[in-house]
Amino acid sequence: MRVIDRDRETMRPDLREQVQLERLQALLVRLRRNVRRYRDQLGDARVESLGQLAQLPFTTPEDLVDAFPYGMFALPLREVVRLDSLVGPEGRQLVTGHTWNDLKLWGRLTARQLVAAGVTSNDVIQVCFGGGVFPQAFGYMLGAEVVEASVIPEDTLHVDYQLQVLQNYRTTTLITTPTNAADLMALLRSQRLDPQSLQLRTVLLTRPTSPEQRNELETGLFARVRCGFGVSEILDPGFCVECEEGRLHVNEDAFLVEVVDRELVVTTLCHEAMPLLRYRTRVAGAAERVKCDCGRTGLVLTPGERLDGCQRVDEIPLYEKQVEDVLRKTRAAGQPFLIAISEHHITVAIEVSEDFFGDQMRGLEQLRREIQSEVLSRLGIHAEVQYVAPGAARRG
Amino acid sequence: MLRIRNLRSGYGSLEVIKGISLHVERGEIVALIGANGAGKSSLLASIVGLLPPWGGSIVLDGREIFGIPAWRCVSHGVVLVPEGRQLFPDLSVRDNLVVGGYRNKDRNLDIDQVLERFPRLRERSAQMAGTLSGGEQQMLAIARALVARPRLLLLDEPSMGLAPLIVKDVFAIIRGLRDLGTTVFLVEQNAVMALAAADRGYVLETGEVVMEGRGADLMTNPDVKCAYLGKASKEIWE
Repeated sequence: MRVIDRDRETMRPDLREQVQLERLQALLVRLRRNVRRYRDQLGDARVESLGQLAQLPFTTPEDLVDAFPYGMFALPLREVVRLDSLVGPEGRQLVTGHTWNDLKLWGRLTARQLVAAGVTSNDVIQVCFGGGVFPQAFGYMLGAEVVEASVIPEDTLHVDYQLQVLQNYRTTTLITTPTNAADLMALLRSQRLDPQSLQLRTVLLTRPTSPEQRNELETGLFARVRCGFGVSEILDPGFCVECEEGRLHVNEDAFLVEVVDRELVVTTLCHEAMPLLRYRTRVAGAAERVKCDCGRTGLVLTPGERLDGCQRVDEIPLYEKQVEDVLRKTRAAGQPFLIAISEHHITVAIEVSEDFFGDQMRGLEQLRREIQSEVLSRLGIHAEVQYVAPGAARRG
Repeated sequence: MLRIRNLRSGYGSLEVIKGISLHVERGEIVALIGANGAGKSSLLASIVGLLPPWGGSIVLDGREIFGIPAWRCVSHGVVLVPEGRQLFPDLSVRDNLVVGGYRNKDRNLDIDQVLERFPRLRERSAQMAGTLSGGEQQMLAIARALVARPRLLLLDEPSMGLAPLIVKDVFAIIRGLRDLGTTVFLVEQNAVMALAAADRGYVLETGEVVMEGRGADLMTNPDVKCAYLGKASKEIWE
């Protein structure tokens, strides 16, 4: 078993329960003292066992939006050394904060994932998501530094250039999104390059993918594929570790996980800047206690689909409301529309009637370009625009 | 080794320990830091039965020791080095050690070993304990506890009243206890020294644990820095 924190990753059940209870009790004290919202909600509430967790209030993504920007922080802003801006419900902005200790913890927890994937200090890690810098990329870099591997934090939109970096720097571990990995594989095939000519040993994907895609990538890139999973408001990466058996084990010394009505609900036990109590992740999932051959004792997670309508285009989270907001700023405001999601772009079908465009086809073309430009600049996503007859964009 | 859950205790109707949970694993040095009046010494007193606990559980190696009288605690391997040393000032160094090992049949052998470990005490073995320096007295208090062959050694404010240089010596002794395989639970106001010596630590505020973590992490924790390491008072961002 490849493990960096054996005492934490293989904790006995009785010790795990003790540690979680201690940290939960301390968390409640800190939240009551330092976060007005929780002080009002919690009152004098205490827990004497983990079984009483269900009596505590939930935190929702909407709570984070309401408290935006710093209302959920448990420390003064001057103690916060990193702010990550995230897309929240309906595309509204969220922020999470980290202290130095939070970043140290993030690095350590992510290192667990890297070590489980076989990464050592001898490895050259290329972190490239192929679509700009995500907060996740910084998390992986923190983890790589803990493992003391060599990190190439190069991120470029050009998959051609990514391949050059892979070849020139003799990258052994690629950390990327499933979409970008598939693009790289396609490029190798189109250039008839033998993947064995690369030094790549491990591809770590930022989120789980289907077994079929995993197999295809393993063949196409000639490397073992591992997947991470996280929730950006909680921690991503670092929330759990995919073991040699392909199971996602929660880092239970840092997180308390429940499944409520199919939804993953997570309490952060160690965060200093913005600890969250029973956070409803809006991600479906199942959690079970499994005796795993890898030796890890953390809860095994099977994440499912998003429950809040959040979709991914080129790995960028997208809510329909965001597109509606963009359209509202154009002449198409108020027109019924439908969105179709593809891997790399969206198609927006907008209802238009004769009286909307009259005989000015040029105006429609102008509007199309305007919408494409706005969607790209505001959301970072390529859009195709189609005009459809009245009634065609209504949901049946 | 030691598992405490939801421990409550106090004086009269005043609750000073408000549902504390903590644990100490075998071979660990664990520090409990907190300001004056946070409840640190009361917690130790509750563990060893000097202060009757009100509720909760204290389990040592799987055996419940909640509420047992202080004199039975020693036979369970829990030995306290009390605040202010509490030596017998009119007894010699050696006699203090004999008293410490009153339940230990092999105490003479153990006393010789302890004196081997603390040569300064061996040099002064015939001297009255009350005439020793503060650092030597603390050394003797720890040595007296070791003669009782503790499985878990509880240290209450070992640096209290000692000069900074002597405090360093005392903490060197505490770190040395790890090599003996002794498990140590240390209560201290001197947060820097305690956290530097400890594997893990807990921060206690007005009878409640507010933070738990590795010693090094707690030293850089903003709350700990504010409260114990002389940083400016905190302002909550609201």
